[in-house]
This record gives sequence, C-alpha cells and structure tokens, in this order.
Amino acid sequence: MITANGIHFCLKNRPILEEIDVSISSGELAVVLGPNGAGKSTLLKLLTGEQVCSNGKITINGEAIESLKTNELAKYRAVMPQHSVVNFPFSVEEIVGLGALSHDKQTRSSQLLEEVMKLTQVEAFRHRMINELSGGERQRVHLARVLLQIWEDKPFPRYLFLDEPTSSMDIAQQHLVLSIVQQLKKRNIGVFAILHDLNLAAQYADKILLMKEGNIRYSGSVQETMQEEKLTEIYGHPISVLPHPSIENALLISSEALVNNKQYISFKTA
Amino acid sequence: MLLSLNYHTVRSKRPLILGICFVLLLASALLALLTGAYPISLSEVVNIILSKFGLNLIEVPDEKMAVLWTIRLPRVLLAILVGGALAVAGASLQGLFRNPLVEPAIIGVSSGSALFAVIMIVFSGTIGWQLQSIMGVFALPFAAFIGGLLNTFLAYRLASKGGKTDISILILAGVAINALSAALISLVIYYGDDNAIRNFTFWSLGSLGGASWTKLYIAGTLVLLSSVIIMSFPRSLNALAIGESEAFHMGVNVQKVKYVVLFFSALAVGAGVSVTGAIGFVGLVVPHLVRMVLGSDHHTLLPVSFLTGGILLLVSDVLSRIIVAPAELSIGIITAILGAPFFIYILMNFKQKRITV
Repeated sequence: MITANGIHFCLKNRPILEEIDVSISSGELAVVLGPNGAGKSTLLKLLTGEQVCSNGKITINGEAIESLKTNELAKYRAVMPQHSVVNFPFSVEEIVGLGALSHDKQTRSSQLLEEVMKLTQVEAFRHRMINELSGGERQRVHLARVLLQIWEDKPFPRYLFLDEPTSSMDIAQQHLVLSIVQQLKKRNIGVFAILHDLNLAAQYADKILLMKEGNIRYSGSVQETMQEEKLTEIYGHPISVLPHPSIENALLISSEALVNNKQYISFKTA
Repeated sequence: MLLSLNYHTVRSKRPLILGICFVLLLASALLALLTGAYPISLSEVVNIILSKFGLNLIEVPDEKMAVLWTIRLPRVLLAILVGGALAVAGASLQGLFRNPLVEPAIIGVSSGSALFAVIMIVFSGTIGWQLQSIMGVFALPFAAFIGGLLNTFLAYRLASKGGKTDISILILAGVAINALSAALISLVIYYGDDNAIRNFTFWSLGSLGGASWTKLYIAGTLVLLSSVIIMSFPRSLNALAIGESEAFHMGVNVQKVKYVVLFFSALAVGAGVSVTGAIGFVGLVVPHLVRMVLGSDHHTLLPVSFLTGGILLLVSDVLSRIIVAPAELSIGIITAILGAPFFIYILMNFKQKRITV
C-alpha cells in the first residue's frame, strides 16, 4: 500500500497542495479528477518520489519514500508521464525494452517484453521507429514500457502511475488502455491515474478523488463522488449525471445551456 | 535512409560491426603512416614497427625510422584518440541534452578548453607555475579541462530548465560563449611571445602537427580513460533519450549520470584540445552518421563512434597534409568543410520533421 499523510507542498511560498491524505492499495484503480491547476500532477510527482514534500509522510509498502534509492523505487512503481518526446531514432521494441532497466535478472525480461507488447497491441509495429508513429500509438508504446518495469510477479505489490494516459487517443484506444489497466489489478498492482474524461472514470474507477485548489474535496466510490453538485463545484461548470440508457452506469454530460438552469444558479448563489 | 540496418541485426552482429570498424581504422592509420613528404613504403612501415618489438627483418635507413617513429606514428595515434574522444563526447552530450545538434565545439566546450590552455601557457610564469609544480605535465590538460567544464556548465545552465533543454537557446549560448572565448584567446595571445604560444589559428582550428610521444602519453591517457568511462553508461544514456524524469522513474540515478558525462566529456575534449587545439564538427558528424546506419542504442553508438571518430580525423589529417603539400592545412579547415554542410543538412531535417524540443 502507498500511504500519504498530511502532505503539503509549496512552490515559491505559494501552497500547491495542502494537508492531503491519500492511500492506494494493490488491486485498486484510483482516479484523480479535477480542473487544471488543482494540483493533480504535483500530487503524482510527490507520490512517485520525483519531488519531495515539505511536510507529511509518504510510505510505499511500509517504507518511507525518501529512504528508497532510485533503483529500489523503480521496482515498486512505474510512471507514465503526460508527454514523452524521443528525439533519436529508437525502435518501438527498444523503447519498450528500456522498461527492463531496473530488472535484476535480464534473462526473463525478453519473455516479459513479449507479454506486455501483446497486451498493449504494439507488437504489430515493434520494428518501426517511434518518431514515425501516431500520438495514440506512441502512448501505447510508453504504456508497454512502464508495464514491463513492474510486470514480473513479485512477493510485494507494485504500483502504476498514469498522468492522462489517454490524452492523444481515440475513444476505442481509450477503452483499450483502461481495460488493460483493469487487468493489472489481479497482478497485485495498484493504479493511480489522472484522467480528464469523467465517463471513463465513472466506468472503470474503484475510487475517485476530486481535487480542487490543492485539496482533495471529496473521495470515495463512483456512486459517492460522481454527483451533480460535487462535480459542478469541483469544475465550476454545470455537469449533469444521468443514468446510462443501456448499462448500469452513470452518464456525465455538460452543456452551456445548463448555465441558465435555475437549479444551477441557486447552487451557485448558495 | 540508404543504408540503415535493422536494430535487431545491429544487436546480434555488434562484434562484427566493431571488427569491421577496427579494420577500417587500421587501414586509415596505415594510409596516414604512408602519406607524407618523405616516402616510406608499406614494407618499411611494417619493418620499423616490428623492429621496435625486437624483430629486425630488413634494415631500414635511420632517417626513415626517425620520421616514422618520432613524427608520423605519434601523430596517427593522437589522431585516433582525439578523434575518438571528440566523437564519444559528442554522442554522449547529445544523449544528455537529448538533442542531435549538440557538439563540443558548437556549445563552447572546445573554445573554453583552448582559452584555459592559452592562459596556462602564456601566464606559465605566474599561475601556471604553481599549478605545474603540483601537477607536472598534467597541468596543461587540467587547465583545458577546467575551461571546457566551465563552458559546458554555462551552456547547460543557460539553456536548461526543469530537465528540458531549449536547443535554440543552447546554440545561441554556444555562439556567445564561443565569441567571448575567441576574443579572450586573442587578448591573452597579445601577452604571450612567439615561443610561448604558436598562434591563434592553432587553437581555433587545430592541428595534429605538434604530436610527440610525450604529448601522446599525457593527453592520450586522459582521453582514453574518459572515453572508456563514458562508454560504461550506455543503458542510462538510452533511458535519458526518453527524458530525465522518465529515466529517473525507470531507476536511473540521473544526477550521477549527468555529472559523469559532463565531467568526463569535458576532460576528454580538454585533454585533446590541450595538444591539438579545438577541432570542430567531429563530435557532430560522427554520432549522427552512426545513428543513421546503426540506430541510437548507445551500446553500439558509443564504441562505433569512437572508432569512426578516429577514422574521420585520420583521413582529415591525411587530406590536410596533401592538399597544399608540402605545406599543411589546419585540420579544422577540413573538418569544418565536411561538417558545416552536414550541420545545415541536419538543421533542414529538423525543420522538415518539425521536431519540437
């Protein structure tokens, strides 16, 4: 389990994150939602050890994050950033293979490589150069790379951090990625993802964290968090929650027309 | 791409590729040993070298022996080591800055080294003397190393923010750093006499003319050592190609790799510059050509760049000696004539692909 207690982060004396408590368990998909500038990426950077928090304590599998060396940390968690630009002609397979950098035994790595490439459906273009691919294909290649890093079964849980993993993808690719992420749960992996698409979050998440202005305003299950008032407050924009016509799921829509809705105005002035 | 190999072939055939490059390097070395105002035949070259190992097959005149052993051979070996080091420094700095346009001479490493070498020589009576009493013959390459390191850090600080390097700022920073260094070199040379210092051309365009065994031992050791150390980080440099934070997430100690590469590429370039002057474009052309043919994996890129850099500098040296024979061109003229159009070609490619860095 990853736990963060009372973490606080300032940039030039301006607080970016205030008193945040959060936990990620293995086999769980935790999704963070919130407007731009809410501190989502900063929270991810603190939880992955890329930045150090000014106050509070973060532990991974019981160990304090600052006590772990870079290569030890890499065995516990993998991170897929929003954009990764590769300026040199590397092949898809070479990029994915970099995920094995922290593996102890390189012998098993080639078999694991085949598995993740198959899962992410990048094997068809494994020999192509990364800079020749479309944005969505590239994101899948990087997904394969970060999966390879934590793919091997270990006696301890591993974690995957995704910062808007579906930003350059069409709707089919988005669902492909989220369904891959769901399969990780049974491999003793916990997932922490920042998403922009409310419907994707509602359909796949086990836990949702709604962030605004450096705080987690609401957290809980999809039912508990995906409510009109909470979402409207978080985004400062009218959002309606409707029942999905064919599956048992919430459908989230937003429209400028709703701004004139009486209910919203009354909420806003309340 | 005319001749690019599948990276799979590259990985499995790495020893063969290295072998071919090594043979080409030996061939260029032989060509360089045979070329010169004083004719020495192939069999004489072989005999002179064998005689140094105690194998006297046929007698070779002492004059030829002297020309080959004291002038040409150290020059050839220096060309290989300096060319190799410039190429490895170029390849690793490109990996570190994550940009194929970075080159020791372009970002100012070489001119910084030249400046400090000139200062060391001209003011050898004052600051230089103290350094020399502590470091002996290593004082000059050490000064050049400090100059190179200073300019590398300066360029890096100017162009980088949060692990990302702005390439246009880096190139412009290089222009400014080079202009300042060149001006200071000229200024310092005013204070030197003709014995203390050869000339401005030597430092700005380079020459292998002054090669000797002593210089080879001193600079060669440092150059070889730094190159070998840089070559031992291929995996980390591969990871850095995706990005600094990505490399960190994959378990690479980014700060350590960064400092090692900056430090030892400055040392390699500095030690080289202290004996040959600043030779440009080798570190740009060689890694780029190798990447075009063999891909970007640093396991292959670094050693092949070293060997190819040696070949390029040997061939350039031969050209510099025959074009205006019996006089000699500065070797930097040849490498710039080969390299500058190549730089423009890479720039155009960059523009076409609209790679944003």
